[in-house]
Amino acid sequence: MATFVDQVKEMGLKQAAIAKADEAVERITAGMNISDIRSALRGDEPRRPNPRLRPHADSFWLHIRPSFYHTEVTHIYPTFRMGWLSTFMFVWETITGIILMIFYTPSPLVAYSNMWNILSNVPLGQLIRNMHRLGAEVMVMVVAMHMLRTFITGSYKKPRQFTWATGMILLVLTLMLSFSGYLLPWDQLAYWALTVFISGAEAAPAPAIINQNILLILQGAPSLGAGGLLRWYLLHVLLMPLMLGIFFFVHYYKVVLHGLSLPPGREEIGEDTAKRVPKNERTYFIPDILTSELMWSALMVLFLVAGSLWLWDAPLETHADPVVTPLHVVAPWYLSWSQGWLKLADKTLVVGFIPALLVAFIVMPYFEVGKSRRYVDRRVGLSVAFLFMAFMLVSNWMGTPEYAVASSPDREVSIEFLPEQGPSLMKAVPYDEMLVGKFLPGQEISGNPHMTEALAELKEAVLANSCTMGAPRIVTIPEDEWRECRVVTLDDGSKRYDLAFKEDVMPDPYVELIIEEIQPGLKSLQLVFNVTEPGNPDVLRIDTQDWKTFIHADSNYEEECRFANKSC
Amino acid sequence: MQVKIIIGTIAFMLTMIILGFAAIREPGRLEDFTLAREGRQIETGARLYHNQCATCHGVNGKAEECYDAATGESIGCQGLPLNYNQLLCGDTSARMSALNWEGSKLAFIQATVSSGRYGTAMPTWAQEYGGPLRTDEISDIVQFVLNWETEELCSQPLFEYPWPETIDELLVTFPTGDAVRGEELYTTYGCSGCHGNLDDSTSATVGPWQGNLAEEAGTRVEGMSGAQYVYESILHPNNYVVEQCPNGPCGDSSSMPTNFPARMGDSETKPQDLVDIMTYLGLLP
Ligand code: HEC
Ligand code: HEC
Ligand code: HEM
Repeated sequence: MATFVDQVKEMGLKQAAIAKADEAVERITAGMNISDIRSALRGDEPRRPNPRLRPHADSFWLHIRPSFYHTEVTHIYPTFRMGWLSTFMFVWETITGIILMIFYTPSPLVAYSNMWNILSNVPLGQLIRNMHRLGAEVMVMVVAMHMLRTFITGSYKKPRQFTWATGMILLVLTLMLSFSGYLLPWDQLAYWALTVFISGAEAAPAPAIINQNILLILQGAPSLGAGGLLRWYLLHVLLMPLMLGIFFFVHYYKVVLHGLSLPPGREEIGEDTAKRVPKNERTYFIPDILTSELMWSALMVLFLVAGSLWLWDAPLETHADPVVTPLHVVAPWYLSWSQGWLKLADKTLVVGFIPALLVAFIVMPYFEVGKSRRYVDRRVGLSVAFLFMAFMLVSNWMGTPEYAVASSPDREVSIEFLPEQGPSLMKAVPYDEMLVGKFLPGQEISGNPHMTEALAELKEAVLANSCTMGAPRIVTIPEDEWRECRVVTLDDGSKRYDLAFKEDVMPDPYVELIIEEIQPGLKSLQLVFNVTEPGNPDVLRIDTQDWKTFIHADSNYEEECRFANKSC
Repeated sequence: MQVKIIIGTIAFMLTMIILGFAAIREPGRLEDFTLAREGRQIETGARLYHNQCATCHGVNGKAEECYDAATGESIGCQGLPLNYNQLLCGDTSARMSALNWEGSKLAFIQATVSSGRYGTAMPTWAQEYGGPLRTDEISDIVQFVLNWETEELCSQPLFEYPWPETIDELLVTFPTGDAVRGEELYTTYGCSGCHGNLDDSTSATVGPWQGNLAEEAGTRVEGMSGAQYVYESILHPNNYVVEQCPNGPCGDSSSMPTNFPARMGDSETKPQDLVDIMTYLGLLP
């Protein structure tokens, strides 16, 4: 073979370099040289033999991809790109996750400060963290939507039953992946969501000895601690992604094997013509599908980067504290339905029902053997599916704290006004405008709109948790805004005061907010409640001093609100 | 296809611009978050301090105004002042030199809080030494304590009164006492929280009742005058421990605070307080 030097002698330096480059490109692409690529990008007809098919035969990455698709399945409908998007999200999560891994140690001693280190010390650390966390939520949504679409287009039917079954496993793995990552920041949100959730294992319909051991395995100790964190970390970075990768290849192998199903109306009932693609209906992977996928990748990256920067910040609450249970323990939204179910039915029933439901979903295509994939012929199936979805939405809503069990009314007011975690209107008041002094609910402070707004919220919280016996004690709340008490006499002779939709509220409370500056840059906010027995002012019903919160000038709560992280 | 290539390229370029923008504002953002981290540590530290430390070190860290955690009643402060220039001011503060501490101020406070002070009422706090608090909680509290350091605090002169051996020497500088002021101080220093009121022998809760101390003090230690005994008992409670507590309750002998030399000696004129209290107790004319 001629050496480069020979070539230079023969055709001159420029030509020889071009030839060499051409050769290199052809090797890298496993079959396409520069002019082939340019012609593909221009959309020209390929030369014969078609060089655009060679990468599918010769390269590893493209041999998994089909060399052409049926043109009918390359439009937005019927796939909505959801399967592809699921794959994209998985790759995205892997990359951002590996970056985060560099800055994280799975130990309760340092995990939480690692998170703060990522936020305050790693260049673009917050962006990476937001991208990973936003990506996790998007991935769950996308996978669910992918499942929905394969159901609606009837793509789970013969011969694709097994594709559906592996898909179900991928769904479970996706949820587990997301959920196992939830614990890692080791803050209150993470700790309690996981503790409450895996305590479900204890209620499984199995002998207690088995349940307790399952729980022990999940927690690594009688309660979640160092061992548990390490376990969930390993699940999150090792086992779950590995399994997801394996099942993805099985899943995708089946997809390619059977071909993407055509839109239901495009084939005869009972036939599957996905693999028989007439010449004139082929869309080749190179260049059309590839370009389209690259475009969608660019758009998704743009969305995820911009979203992580401006739309949404990953939450970080205070350090996990096994001794202090927050009033409202919130499951991640994609598992909220299970908390909703717990309010409807017995725990054992729910915990037993979930795996049963999963199995039912996996085997569904082997039992639902209706021949037609067309919508008109599947009225019952589609209706059941939509009813199920409605049920899931309602369950999810019931699982959110809006539906939470109430505690004492003064506690409710404090939690609403000065939540232990997360921002609120009051915490969002700029530090300098947070005046020192005593304030009443609903009080208007001229020239200080933020405080006024926060105090208005306090008024709402107070009104929602109190009633009047005709002698309101808070002068700043107009008399006609109070609602009458409904007095209920309990069995033991004591009285309870109710609102129409709320039991046990405060009759004619006196509520005051005291703000003091206790250190340079540190203020204490204290809610004081004083509620006496109506008709007998000497007997106290509620008298509290201890609803105290501290706010530091640099804590950045306004910032969180401005980015609309949570409602405030 | 051309359209897709264009859209893709534009999206890619926009992403790069956004990343560039993020990178430009990054130093400021990192600084904000560093401050936010500290701010939130101080907030948590404040909460923990008020739950755990205020009973001994006082609500404002001045070893004044201490309240019983359970009942909310006012009690005597046992701890040393923490909102205090001798502890917080200078790279090596006065307290650090007094205890021969060679490390940083942060480490000094962190170590003291973590392990407590053996032989004093200051308990051990870190879980690794058997206390109730996690490492992160300790560092939150330490941030809170350090946050008391201000220019105003540190512009006050450092001062430690050189207490003389005997009361007689002190009386040379502070010849007269004021019983009325002494009565007030007896409450503000928290003595009455433990020793009760002089006119009611049942009001003493932790320490012995002192209504008849004037008669009894002289009998406690052979050959020592009552005034000298009480002088030493206040400044160095561990020198003599009342045996059997003839006058009512006698809690743990270590509960009599050891911080009065500091609290009554942080300025040239402050020892007057001690003389006033002793006058009130009837030990000085
Ligand atoms: C039971 C009472 C008590 C409690 C509760 C207590 N302390 Fe102390 N603390 C003391 C006493 C007494 C001393 C003085 C020890 C000595 O004489 O050296 C002290 C000393 C200190 C010192 C060293 C001061 C100096 O100048 O050397 C620090 C710092 C301190 N405490 C912090 C705390 C913190 C923080 C907490 C809450 C987590 C706390 N203490 C809770 C009694 C207490
Ligand atoms: C936290 C509780 C407490 C506080 C506050 C307190 N003491 Fe005491 N005091 C004790 C206890 C307990 C004893 C007995 C043990 C001992 O002698 O050390 C005692 C002993 C004494 C004695 C010796 C009494 C005797 O009968 O021999 C004197 C004098 C005394 N205290 C004075 C004071 C003065 C003055 C103050 C305020 C400046 C004060 N104490 C504050 C708990 C306290
Ligand atoms: C991590 C999760 C998943 C990934 C990465 C993934 C990936 C893919 C891809 C790339 C395709 C082909 C393109 C498309 O149809 O959009 C596909 C098809 C398919 N997927 Fe998934 N999938 C996942 C989860 C699921 C789930 C949860 C189900 C349903 C339970 C499912 C069922 C199917 C079916 C039936 C097909 C065939 C569709 C057809 O032939 O038209 N997949 N999947």
